[in-house]
Amino acid sequence: MKPLSFLISFLKYSLSFIIVLALWEAYARYGGLNELFLPRPSKIGAKLYSLFVKVEVIEQGTIYWHFYATLAQMSIGFAYGITIGTTLAVLAAFNETFRRYVAPYAVVFNVTPGIAVLPLIIAWFGFGWESKIALATLVCFFPPFINTLTGLLKKNDEAIELFQTIGATQSQYFWKQQLPNALPEIFAGLKLAITTALLGTIVAQFGSATEGVGILMQRFAFRLDMAGSFASLVTMAIMGLLVFTVAEVMDRRIVFWRDAKGLERVSRKKQQKLSANG
Amino acid sequence: MSYSTSQQTKNISIFKTLPFHLLIFAVLIVIWELTNLYGFEDQIQADMIAPRPTNIFLAMLDIFIIDKTVWKHLISTFQKALLGASIGTAIGMGLAIAATLSLTFRKYIKPWIILMEATPRIAVGPIFVALLGFGLWSAVALAALVAFFGPFVNTFQGLMEVDEEAEEMFRSLGASRFQTFWKLRFASAMELISAGWKLATASAFGGALVAEFIQASEGMGVLIAQYVIMITMDYAFAGLLSVTIFGFILFKIMDYFDYRLIFWKNDYLLLKESEKRRKKAGIV
Repeated sequence: MKPLSFLISFLKYSLSFIIVLALWEAYARYGGLNELFLPRPSKIGAKLYSLFVKVEVIEQGTIYWHFYATLAQMSIGFAYGITIGTTLAVLAAFNETFRRYVAPYAVVFNVTPGIAVLPLIIAWFGFGWESKIALATLVCFFPPFINTLTGLLKKNDEAIELFQTIGATQSQYFWKQQLPNALPEIFAGLKLAITTALLGTIVAQFGSATEGVGILMQRFAFRLDMAGSFASLVTMAIMGLLVFTVAEVMDRRIVFWRDAKGLERVSRKKQQKLSANG
Repeated sequence: MSYSTSQQTKNISIFKTLPFHLLIFAVLIVIWELTNLYGFEDQIQADMIAPRPTNIFLAMLDIFIIDKTVWKHLISTFQKALLGASIGTAIGMGLAIAATLSLTFRKYIKPWIILMEATPRIAVGPIFVALLGFGLWSAVALAALVAFFGPFVNTFQGLMEVDEEAEEMFRSLGASRFQTFWKLRFASAMELISAGWKLATASAFGGALVAEFIQASEGMGVLIAQYVIMITMDYAFAGLLSVTIFGFILFKIMDYFDYRLIFWKNDYLLLKESEKRRKKAGIV
């Protein structure tokens, strides 16, 4: 996309945001919106300014510290979750007995709302980081599991025939056909998992915590400092967008064959490399 | 040579595998029970980490039949979740239909949707509790907020994917706009839409439970948290298990509902329905 047209479309989109915010502000100022319920945007903005720019210390830390704590807890939980999920899925994909007798437990596990386990997790892991990591792991392991499993089980008869004709080995078949074939699904699962991991972390912080954006939000709301709690909501939205964008970019880079443009880019690069080598 | 991976699952009848399933389950339970009895130095610690299955079973009996404490909370949570899911679904589907019908609306709603998708929506919980109080409505509002997204995305995707040849046929038959929408777009999107309902129900449960954890007077979230605070872990497990069981039953009911509603995906139901309609039209 050309930079100019990008700028124009960006302005057009932000216009709708600005109009909504302006209406909200005007309504709060002249229409008598109860500020206890919905603080006006300028107050939220002022709160954000004092949190991010003036670096006000709240709950034993700056907003950056809380941001970091939440993000770190989420990442560790996510790492555990995808490790467990994909390992189980690979085992289930390669071993039919395992798939038949163990996979149903994973499904039953998924029917339990992971969030309902929160009190138990706090009792087991305490009030520190461990309980947040544990809940994030618990809620995010399922999407990678089920998507990896369906991805690996997806079968392309023609491709199998082709691989057989050219005498590919088992490992070649896995690396060059089965895994690439499953990657779009796996990445869709990871994208789901990363947002649920963030959600799990924040919910665990609601349960009990001393640091993190979730606890900030809760403390502000219970003090009826609505501007503060909306400011922490905005912080969470930023965090969510950040995490989501990272997942999206990784997806587009790694699973390049999903859309024609990416495929062209990579094949051109490979061609250049081949011709450079002679 | 055939590759040993990803081969089709052999069709073995359920009666052959069921005993093995039960056996594995029984072995797991026995191991759990023995670990609790002999695996720990301290019995209190053992009951804290993994309460004995027999105790969990007794706790289930107690809360369901003897003391009947669970019913009130279970009904409360189900009420919140289902109300939230219905409101969320109505909003989500309404927005999705508007977005498919109008290009301008679609264009301007897109950044908001991305923003909504990225924000952990459950995090609005404390704000809703502060605004709407500790009762039913804060939980319903949170459940609706987290539930609306699944039906929105699925309905939108389903309605946008239209079989072009079928559309051409509708045009050549002179179908009205409403007929095309209702009999073609909506009907072909139905499968995705009902998957969206299931997504909505699942996430609405999460929303209702979180609202209850934050602050509430009744509901499964409160009950489980209370049991944990009293360190009666067997009761906490029983509470969790009852959420699972009733959630599972609800999903099975929805599955059946789906199966009847989308009758054209099943040959037998399709045959029956077409016979009924033929009779109604007088063509026998």
